[in-house]
Amino acid sequence: MNPGILGNIGLVLAVFFSVAGLVAVVFSWFLRDARYVRVARRSALLAFLGTFVAFGALEWALLTDDFSILYTARNHTSASPTWVKFATLWAALEGSILLWAMLQTLYTWLAGRKMRDYWTSPVALGALFVIQLFFLVNVLFVINPFTPVPNPPADGPGPNPLLQNHWMMAVHPILMYLGFVGLSVPFAYAVAAMVTRRYQTWVSETKWWLIFAWGFLTAAIFAGGWWSYEVLGWGGYWAWDPVENASFIPWLLATAFVHTAMVQERRGLFRSWNFALVTLAFAGTVFGTFLTRSGVIESVHAFAGGPVGPIFLGFLLVILAVGFSLLGRVSSEVRDVGSVNVWSREGLLLFGALVFVVMAFVVILGTLFPLLVEAFNGAKVSVGAPFFNQLFVPLGYAMLVLMALGPLLPWRRAEGETLRVLAWMAVSLVLGTAAGLALGWTLWVSLTVGLFLFNLVALGWLIASPIARKSRALGGVRAGMGSLAWTRRRYGGYLVHFAVALSALAIAFSQSYRLDVQKTLQIGESWQVAGRTITVHALRAVEDPHRYSVIADVEISGMGTRQPRLNYYPTSRTPFASPSVAYTLGKDYYLVLQAFDQENAQWVTLRLVVTPLVLWLWVSAVLMALGTAMILWPARRAARAAAAGEVGA
Amino acid sequence: MRALFGVLLALAIGALFWWGMQTKDERSELPSALAGRPAPAFDLELLPSSREAWGERLDLSDYLGKKPIILNFWASWCYPACYEEAPILEATWRRWKDQVLFVGVNTQDELDAAEKFIEQFGISFPNVYDPRGKVGIDYGMYGVPETFAISVEGRVLERFAGTISAEKLESMIREVLP
Amino acid sequence: MRRVLWVLILALGLAGAQTVGNEPPPDLPPKVFEIAKKLRCPVCRGESAAESNAGVTEEMRRQIAEMLAEGKTEDEIIQYFVDRYTEWILYEPPKRGLGLVVWLAPVIGLGIFGFGLYSYLRATSRRAAELEGISEEELARAEAELGRDDEGGAPS
Repeated sequence: MNPGILGNIGLVLAVFFSVAGLVAVVFSWFLRDARYVRVARRSALLAFLGTFVAFGALEWALLTDDFSILYTARNHTSASPTWVKFATLWAALEGSILLWAMLQTLYTWLAGRKMRDYWTSPVALGALFVIQLFFLVNVLFVINPFTPVPNPPADGPGPNPLLQNHWMMAVHPILMYLGFVGLSVPFAYAVAAMVTRRYQTWVSETKWWLIFAWGFLTAAIFAGGWWSYEVLGWGGYWAWDPVENASFIPWLLATAFVHTAMVQERRGLFRSWNFALVTLAFAGTVFGTFLTRSGVIESVHAFAGGPVGPIFLGFLLVILAVGFSLLGRVSSEVRDVGSVNVWSREGLLLFGALVFVVMAFVVILGTLFPLLVEAFNGAKVSVGAPFFNQLFVPLGYAMLVLMALGPLLPWRRAEGETLRVLAWMAVSLVLGTAAGLALGWTLWVSLTVGLFLFNLVALGWLIASPIARKSRALGGVRAGMGSLAWTRRRYGGYLVHFAVALSALAIAFSQSYRLDVQKTLQIGESWQVAGRTITVHALRAVEDPHRYSVIADVEISGMGTRQPRLNYYPTSRTPFASPSVAYTLGKDYYLVLQAFDQENAQWVTLRLVVTPLVLWLWVSAVLMALGTAMILWPARRAARAAAAGEVGA
Repeated sequence: MRALFGVLLALAIGALFWWGMQTKDERSELPSALAGRPAPAFDLELLPSSREAWGERLDLSDYLGKKPIILNFWASWCYPACYEEAPILEATWRRWKDQVLFVGVNTQDELDAAEKFIEQFGISFPNVYDPRGKVGIDYGMYGVPETFAISVEGRVLERFAGTISAEKLESMIREVLP
Repeated sequence: MRRVLWVLILALGLAGAQTVGNEPPPDLPPKVFEIAKKLRCPVCRGESAAESNAGVTEEMRRQIAEMLAEGKTEDEIIQYFVDRYTEWILYEPPKRGLGLVVWLAPVIGLGIFGFGLYSYLRATSRRAAELEGISEEELARAEAELGRDDEGGAPS
């Protein structure tokens, strides 16, 4: 037995059990027999175990430096540290799709366990089996990482150096795939609902999965931003690169859907729109995979091209075709009824969703625009960060206003009591903006400060007023506070909103007040800059098995000594800068070693990037994750109890 | 109606991506901003190996408007593309040197490495040394190797990016010959 | 020992992004990066001239610094690169002709989806008005069944 054979066995088993599961749900659908659904669930578990074996086999090959299979021969080196070896599995095309397939089978199994409606679950499970078969067949037949290599090399070139430079690379892709793949579950529920014509309840049934996937997608986007910040050496966290945009588009659509789903749950409105949104959000994940793996659009993050481009394009079109044809039927059958007052919870939720959809439209059009123009008249244009940054300012303000107002207003129509706090919010907005202007900040930054306070007052009122009301009713603040646990999900939502407002503040400041400067210093020389003294103490070299590094010891006054370095990997002609960041609650000091005296080690060239409030972006990411967990937690416990009950019965 | 629109939109997106995938290599070709415009002149030090035959420096304005020019940007670190086209350039130069001037611009390179490259391929046309890569920017170059055809009137007629073939080079020369 | 290691780097030919001839790169004031951020790195895939460490972007930053020192304005410097690389070098597409389409993307999007939302809401409220005959209580009960949970959480 060797990893190649074991991996192929795992994949073949996974394909076999996926087909078996698919056949079982078809039987259950046509024979109207729920027993087959149970068979399908068991097949889903076995398919997951099959991909898990394949995953394990590839890890086995990587960790034992077995170069007899294609993937390790091309992407691995025995010199890598253990964590890099482990993460090499998703550093290149074949392994990343294997990971994707494994997570897909995991989701299919877990989602299948929670499906209790014997009418819709055959279709939902069937959709998930089809999706996982697509990935599995690709891994097995098109881009098989276990293809034997006739003459195994003694060692390989190793993964892309950019991916070895930071431990985040072991985490970020997993988060991203958990988010991407997770969106397949709401999509499958939606397809099942459309096929079985149960247009209303699927939103509630799939909401937990939607928010679960949304949470991972959010975490992945922030983790990717942090990776860029720590690794790419220019002190930024978001470059509006096509691949970054490709992860942002499903996030925007999923965010819109999270909000419109509430409108459907509460008022039975927007039912066909919700189906369109969930289809597009899932299609967006496949679109992103297609973009990164087809070479259609240039990007720093693209995988080396392979034969999968056309295949993923076909899959994307199939999803869109299925989605649109079902949508055609839904929109002809569903007749939503109900008047919506603009000045109500549902009115603002719909406007908020509109803002997110418009954002997604801007990102899609901007990302594809160079390709469109070239197809249209052969001209070359670029659409990048300065463009998106300008357009997202007004869209971001619209979002900040709506997200403060939405939770304040009751369903159906605004009441006098809730309107009173609006005066306070307006005052805080004006005061915040005026204070910002008085401090000499730009209008845009000042407005963001004002809107942050606007949100803060709204959230404060939302939290304080029910406590006050309950305390009055229950005769004590403690009793009032005690009742909070009942609405944990609501407070999770508030926490996410607060984190979004906080990140808006961090983005506004870090984008507007950034100092970026480059200087050559002699060893021992000091440099007064941005209120600090920067002294270069030494320049030294360190040799690791997998790389060679040149390190500068640079002291920032009051912040200790930092070690920006240049890493040289044998596969790359150019060195990779590994910046050193001194994080503070105010400004981050970001040092990059740009160049050094190769002959006498007498000088170094440093790039210093000083950016305010970046740290708060990572804080808001943690808060968003906490808020999401708060939303998910009670539902998950309830579901577990329900599942246990089912097993017991 | 709405479904039909959706299907058409999906097909249009599919067609766009399909086209994008099929043409991704040729699309990397960027039209030169200089096409039809006067070629930017430069005055640079020649590589030591070119000095015996061509003097200390080469001022392109001495030749612009007098002779058609093939301008080639290269570097010793540009492997394998520059190594593949160097013999082609040298052979073609020997054939056409009476009618066309070849000028090599060594870009962002180390002097020793550049000299080794010249020696390796026995290059006999003049090569200037541009460690900063300033001339490359003047010509809107985006990566070595890149070859420009300059007419006898001193105008840029064509740019070719990547390893040049003998046929392409010949066709460029025929284009610039009066 | 240290010297040996430097020689090793040079011998391996690894010094790619380093400046040629062991000359230190130029000192660059903040304004250089602000301008470079608007320009595309010609050899990279999706990186700006401020972000990339390719040789050509290093030279671009140096030229920007030199032109700033000569007293040239930002627009003149950007025009200098447009003259050489066409408008492709700009990360902001031109605000005319076809480029207007992408600049108007938010307006187009708001138009399309805003109109869709508007006509949808008009249709639903028209239907609601038609159903006015049904008693308020019946409607309220139907709605209560639809949304069992105020926070919209899933009972799973």
